[in-house]
Amino acid sequence: MKVRFKIWRQDSPIDKGSFKVYEVDGLNPDMSFLEALDHLNEKLVLRNEKVIAFDHDCREGICGQCGVFINGRAHGPHENTTTCQLHMRSFEEGKVIVVEPWRAKAFPVIKDLIVDRSAFDRIIEHGGYISAKTGTASEANAIPVGKDIAERVMDVAACIGCGACVATCKNSSAALFTSAKINHLNSLPQGKPEEHQRVLDMTAQMAKEDFGHCTFTGACEVECPEGISINNIAEMNARFLKAKLFR
Amino acid sequence: MDLFFRKGVIASTGLFLCLFLIVHLSANCILLLPEDISRELYNSYSTTLRENLLIKLVAYILYLSIILHVVYALLVTIRNRKSTPIKYAVNHSNENSSWTSQNMGFIGFFILLFIVIHLANFWARIKLGMGEEVGTDALGNLDVYEVTSSLFHNIYYVSFYSLLMIPLGLHLHHGLKSAFKTLGFYHKKGLQAIAKIAVVYALIMSIGFGIIPFIVYFK
Ligand code: FES
Repeated sequence: MKVRFKIWRQDSPIDKGSFKVYEVDGLNPDMSFLEALDHLNEKLVLRNEKVIAFDHDCREGICGQCGVFINGRAHGPHENTTTCQLHMRSFEEGKVIVVEPWRAKAFPVIKDLIVDRSAFDRIIEHGGYISAKTGTASEANAIPVGKDIAERVMDVAACIGCGACVATCKNSSAALFTSAKINHLNSLPQGKPEEHQRVLDMTAQMAKEDFGHCTFTGACEVECPEGISINNIAEMNARFLKAKLFR
Repeated sequence: MDLFFRKGVIASTGLFLCLFLIVHLSANCILLLPEDISRELYNSYSTTLRENLLIKLVAYILYLSIILHVVYALLVTIRNRKSTPIKYAVNHSNENSSWTSQNMGFIGFFILLFIVIHLANFWARIKLGMGEEVGTDALGNLDVYEVTSSLFHNIYYVSFYSLLMIPLGLHLHHGLKSAFKTLGFYHKKGLQAIAKIAVVYALIMSIGFGIIPFIVYFK
């Protein structure tokens, strides 16, 4: 299989950067997108050119490290998937594939396709944890959690923090990510003690970072690899109001 | 200022304006009656509104709502623009969201333009007494019907009024659907119902407001 990659190259955060086109041959349609980039990088090494920098770790859709904008969509043309779970068979032979880093003021480019997502970490630092001692695995089962709550919590706990929600949002809003973290912890008994403070602190940090407002375009829930529902943002808003009123 | 507050102002003023439009459209329906009944009813209705103290208060809330809605929408847009300084070279946002939701500000601009002209046509003449003087009808009420009817016998105004109801419909659809989420309503089935209501509401408003000028024109 043969494609033309049009990839964003940028040496450093202060470099201006530009697109570069690479003809890549000898691809297997069953290769993952990242394997195709590996394949291209091997060629670049042999040609003594700088390899393309991109983030990845698990390559099985669970770590949230990978994530680039492919042909105008976060994580490529499919809904609810990660870049590492995307395969070359999703593209047409001989066509151009445009690859860009996440574009958001809050996610500055470090190099080529790698962006700095530490704004997410700082939101987590402001309450995305619990202070209760959870004990061992068996003790976890001693705290009863209803099946429906457990299910709902699992849905949001699935967030891998890849940043696709911010990347695809026309406002670069981090509302889906932040709401997933807040609703996850606030729905569980272990998260109750600092329930209100958590909402206020995490949303305040979200506002401090360079994220925009959520205007409910709904793009985030379509691109989210875990299919986290946008209704979580509404739930976060409700929790925020509650915290303001009852803290 | 927190992100919630700004959007909260836009959502709550927006919902108030949605309610107002229902009352407005019901009043417009009077124009569909035969001319003599319509003129009398329309004029006495508008006189009642103008002289009612409570309605006066509501009118001020209405002006304030429009202003706040626009000002806060601008603030939100400014922040959103700042958050997205670099655009993608290729972005197929149409594959993951509706055009309307991506362009609420752009659509809103046309609605604002409409409101300004609409106020100049009616409000400025009737309430502020600017421009040509408004006469009275047989009962001595200000002849607001005449103002409306003469305006709606001008094809340019009729087209303008009707055409701009398209952006209104789009704006109302996304606005109504999203306002409840912004204000923290997250009941799943409820939101699904609101999404459906929003479609029906937006259709009724845009078609209703858009078609009445034409009916008056051909009456
Ligand atoms: S590399 Fe871990 S999710 Fe893609």
